[in-house]
Amino acid sequence: MTKPAALPADWRDLFALTKPRVMSLVVFTALCGLLAAPSMPPFIIGFTAILCIALAAGSAGALNQWYESDLDAKMKRTANRPIPSGRLDRQTALHFAVGLGFFSVILMELATNWLAAVLLAASILFYVLIYTVWLKRRTAQNIVIGGAAGAFPPLIGWVAATGRIDLLPVLLFATIFLWTPPHFWALSLFVRSDYAAANVPMMPVVAGAPATRRQILIYSVIMAVAAVAPWALGLTGWIFGGTAAILGLLFVAFAIPVARNTATDPKMMGPEKRLFAFSILYLFILFASLVADRWLLA
Amino acid sequence: MTKVVGEEPKPEQEIIRARQRDQARITAWLLGGFVVLMFLIAVAKVATGK
Repeated sequence: MTKPAALPADWRDLFALTKPRVMSLVVFTALCGLLAAPSMPPFIIGFTAILCIALAAGSAGALNQWYESDLDAKMKRTANRPIPSGRLDRQTALHFAVGLGFFSVILMELATNWLAAVLLAASILFYVLIYTVWLKRRTAQNIVIGGAAGAFPPLIGWVAATGRIDLLPVLLFATIFLWTPPHFWALSLFVRSDYAAANVPMMPVVAGAPATRRQILIYSVIMAVAAVAPWALGLTGWIFGGTAAILGLLFVAFAIPVARNTATDPKMMGPEKRLFAFSILYLFILFASLVADRWLLA
Repeated sequence: MTKVVGEEPKPEQEIIRARQRDQARITAWLLGGFVVLMFLIAVAKVATGK
């Protein structure tokens, strides 16, 4: 039987394919990385660098949805995405994602420098090949290692402005890398049944909720310490140091009730939901303080 | 143009045309934006001597 011809893609579905909500955090941290750099490129170059990072994040998100459409169809949270819901065919999604990825990397090289373009390409490939294809369906450590993909943006923003890799953006990379596990595990605790239904070996599914809660607390403490490191090493001023210290204490304070909670019903997982929400706010305020520190104390 | 009496356009055809129009319009805007962006990047690069 011949399949009916697919409708041309609606631009809203192509836009949804890029995971715009995730992109907002990526763009913000990248912008902060760029604004915290010691040398400022012309406005249009900086704007293009951030645009490229946003497009690359969109490409990685679209490739992730293209590859995981079978998983997405099994999970309540993702079943209405454009591909599993049937609004967009996989081939269109693949063409769109690959085109966007190539375009972002080439434009980054033309506008800024080759190192930023290489890092941008590496971030897409890491998210797609290492996290999505290799780790996600195989190990409970998927989010720990895969978290590196989300840690690239401030580093790329910095490199786009300076053309080199310095210690400060590497420490920012480390902070986001260590932030990712408590952020995602808090979410995966209250959507555990979704991951179990899709057979994704997230930590709560494989190791159980008590072990996940302990890991959340451990990572929160390590992340809080890592976030203060730029100030302790004299790379930032007191605005960033003070903000990182207070936010770190708050993060651990939010993680302790999660470690103590024994609930298995998502309705009783208030501490997990609060930690998840705070973790997003944490990253926004921490990176905003970095820019404030750089511009007010410079 | 000859119009066949009593032949109403099918809803699916309308959707296809609307989406094609949207795609064409968005592509035109993106291409225009890209040209302007490349011009501004070139100007910035020349100005900074890179």
